[in-house]
Amino acid sequence: MRMTGRITIVWRLAAAVLALGITTADAADEIVIGASIPLSGPLAGFGSFQQWGYKRAVDEVNKAGGIAINGTKRQVKLVIRDDKTDPTVTAANTETLISREKAVALLGSCTPALVNAGALVADRAKKPLVTGCDPLEAFKSVRKWAYVWDLFLHEPELSAVQFKALADLGAQTNKRLAIWHDNGPDGQVVGGKLWPAFAKEFGYDVVQNAEFPPDNAQFTTIIGEAKSKGAEVVLVDAITPQAVAIRKQMAAADYKPKVIIIEKGAEPVQFAEALGKLSDGVIVGGYWDPTFPYPGAADLAKAFETETKLTSSQHIADSYAAAQVLLDAITSAGSIDPEKINDAIRTTNKTYVVGPIQFDQFHTAKLPVVSLQWQGGKTVVIWPKNARTGDFLFPLP
Amino acid sequence: MPDIGIISSTIAAGVLLGGILGLTALGLSIVLGVMRLVNLAHGDFLVVGAYAGLFFLQFSGIDPVLGLPVVALLLGGLSIPLYRFLLAPLADRGAEAQMMTMFAVSIILENIFILVFSADTRSIARDYATYPLTLGPVTVPLIYLIGFAISVTVILVVHWLVSSTAFGRDLRASAADAQAAATLGVDVKRVQMLTFALGAACAGVGGTLIGAAFQFSPSSGGPYLLNSLAVVVLGGLGNVLGALVGGVVLGALQSVGGLTLGDGYRDVVGMALFLLVLAFRPEGFLAQGRT
Repeated sequence: MRMTGRITIVWRLAAAVLALGITTADAADEIVIGASIPLSGPLAGFGSFQQWGYKRAVDEVNKAGGIAINGTKRQVKLVIRDDKTDPTVTAANTETLISREKAVALLGSCTPALVNAGALVADRAKKPLVTGCDPLEAFKSVRKWAYVWDLFLHEPELSAVQFKALADLGAQTNKRLAIWHDNGPDGQVVGGKLWPAFAKEFGYDVVQNAEFPPDNAQFTTIIGEAKSKGAEVVLVDAITPQAVAIRKQMAAADYKPKVIIIEKGAEPVQFAEALGKLSDGVIVGGYWDPTFPYPGAADLAKAFETETKLTSSQHIADSYAAAQVLLDAITSAGSIDPEKINDAIRTTNKTYVVGPIQFDQFHTAKLPVVSLQWQGGKTVVIWPKNARTGDFLFPLP
Repeated sequence: MPDIGIISSTIAAGVLLGGILGLTALGLSIVLGVMRLVNLAHGDFLVVGAYAGLFFLQFSGIDPVLGLPVVALLLGGLSIPLYRFLLAPLADRGAEAQMMTMFAVSIILENIFILVFSADTRSIARDYATYPLTLGPVTVPLIYLIGFAISVTVILVVHWLVSSTAFGRDLRASAADAQAAATLGVDVKRVQMLTFALGAACAGVGGTLIGAAFQFSPSSGGPYLLNSLAVVVLGGLGNVLGALVGGVVLGALQSVGGLTLGDGYRDVVGMALFLLVLAFRPEGFLAQGRT
C-alpha cells in the first residue's frame, strides 16, 4: 500500500515536471514583448488607447501566422503591466518584464516621466524599446540612447503650430497671453521656454506665466490673475484631470478668453466627455487624424470605434505604429537577439499609419503636427488649411 | 500682489469650499469618534458618491443635487454589510485590524472602479457647476455656494441627531466609553453600525458635490482622505460642528496659500497648520463641547 502511494507520488511528480517542460517549451516558442503603460491613475486615459494600439498590431501579426525566427514561425505574446501613472512602478514593471517575463523587446508608456523611467531600465538592460507619447526634446534630454527609439511630436513644432494657426486663421485678439503649465519635464520645456519664445516672435505680450505641480486641483488664483490682466489667449500644458479642472474653474470664474489652447490634457476623448459643451472651442495640438493620407489611417479609427464603441484618439495611432515598427524590426532581424532587433529598428524606413518613420542619430522620428479643435465632442483639424476637416470656432463659445 | 477682486474671490471661494470639505470629513470624524476607526476607505466612499451622483443623473435624468437623499441612502445601505461582515467580527481585535481591513477595502474599491467605470477622469456636468456668481468684486462658482448650503444643512441635521435624539445619546455614550455604555444597556454594535452607515451617507453626499464642483477618477480617494484627516484634526475628533469649522479654516487657509505661494502650493499652508494643531492642540479647535 505504502509502495503504491510512493509510485503514485513519483508518477504525479513526473507528470508535473513533464507539464512544466511542455509549458516552458510553449513559452520558449513565443516571442515575448512587454509594455508597462498607465491603465490607472491620472494618465489612464492615454493608457487605454495605447493598450488597444499595441494589441491590435500584435494580433495582426499573429493572425498572419506570427514572425519567422530562424525559419520557424512564432506567435508574439504581448505582456502588459499597469504602471499606475507612477514612474517608479514603470521602472519596476520594466525590470519584471525583462527578468521574469523574458521580454525580448519592449513598448513604451506615456508622457516623458513614465516613458523615460522605463526606457532607462531597458537601455541599461540592452533591450530594444520603441515608444510614442514622449515629446522628442524631453526624450533626447535624458541621455544618448542606445536601445530606445521614440516616434512622436517635436515640442518646438507643437509650440509653434498654435501661433502659426492663430495667425493664419486670422484670430483677432488683444495679443495678451497667459501661460499655465505643470512643472513636469515637458511642461517646463513647452510652457517655460518654447511658448514664451514663440509668443515674442509672433508679437504676443505674455502677461502671466504660472507653474504648478502635476497633482494640483485648484486654479482659482491663477485664473483670477489672468482674468484681471485681460489675457484673451490662454495656453495650458497639463494632464487631463487638471485640464478638466482648469476649464471648469475658468467658466465658474466667469473668465472667457477668446482662445484656449490646452496641450496634453485635452488630447483624450475623456476630456470632452467630462466637460460636455464646455470642451467646445478648446484647441489642442495633434499628430494624427483618421483623415491623414497614410495607409490604414481611416481603417484604424473605424476599427477602434467598432470594437470599443468609443470615440477614437490619436494615441491609438502612435502606439499602433510603435508596435508595428518593433514587430517589423523583429521580422527583418529574423531573430530575437536584442542587438539584431536594435539594428533593424535603426534602419526603419517605411510609411506607417502616422506617416513616414525614419529614426535620426538621436533615435527620434518626428511626426507632423496639426492644430485640432474640440467641436461637439469630436476633434476637427483646423490647421493647416490643406488638412482641414472643419471650420475654426472663434471666439471661444 | 493680486488685486482686491482676486483676493476677495479666492478667500470667499476657499470658505465656501471649506464647508464642502467639512461635510466630506464629517463621516470620517464621527466614525473615528465612535468606533476609534480611521476609515482608510473614506476617500473611496466619496468617490462612490461621485459615481453614484453621475450615474443617477445619467440613468434617471434627475439632477444629482435633488438625488442626494437617494445617494445618501445608497451609501448608507451599502456600508451596512461592510460593517456587519468585515468590521464587526474584528471588533475585539483592536482598531488596527479594522483599519487594515478598510485599507484593503480601499484598494478593492479602487480596482472595482477601474474595472467597472474605466480609469477615465469624469465630472458631473451641470450648468450650475460652472455658473459664476458675482457680487461686486467677488466672483465665486455657484456650485460652491450650493455645496456650502447643503453641507451646512447636513452638518446641522447630523448635529441635531447626535445631540438631541435617543440614537445620539447612545452614540455619545458609546463614543465616551463603549464598555460602560454596553453595561447600561446600549447596543454598542448597533450604534457603531448605524454610525458607520451615517458616515458613509455623509461621504456619499459630499462625493456627489465634489463630483459636480470638480473632477474625479478611481484614484481620487487618496487626496480627499488626506484633506478629510486634516479637517478632523483641526475640528476635533468626533466633533460634528468642529468638522464644519475645520473645513472652513482649512479652505480659507488653502486660499491664503494659493494667494501667497501660488495655486500649486495651496496645500502647503493647510498641511503646515495641520501639523501645528497636531503638535500644540491635538484635540482640535473645538475641544470643548464635543458633538
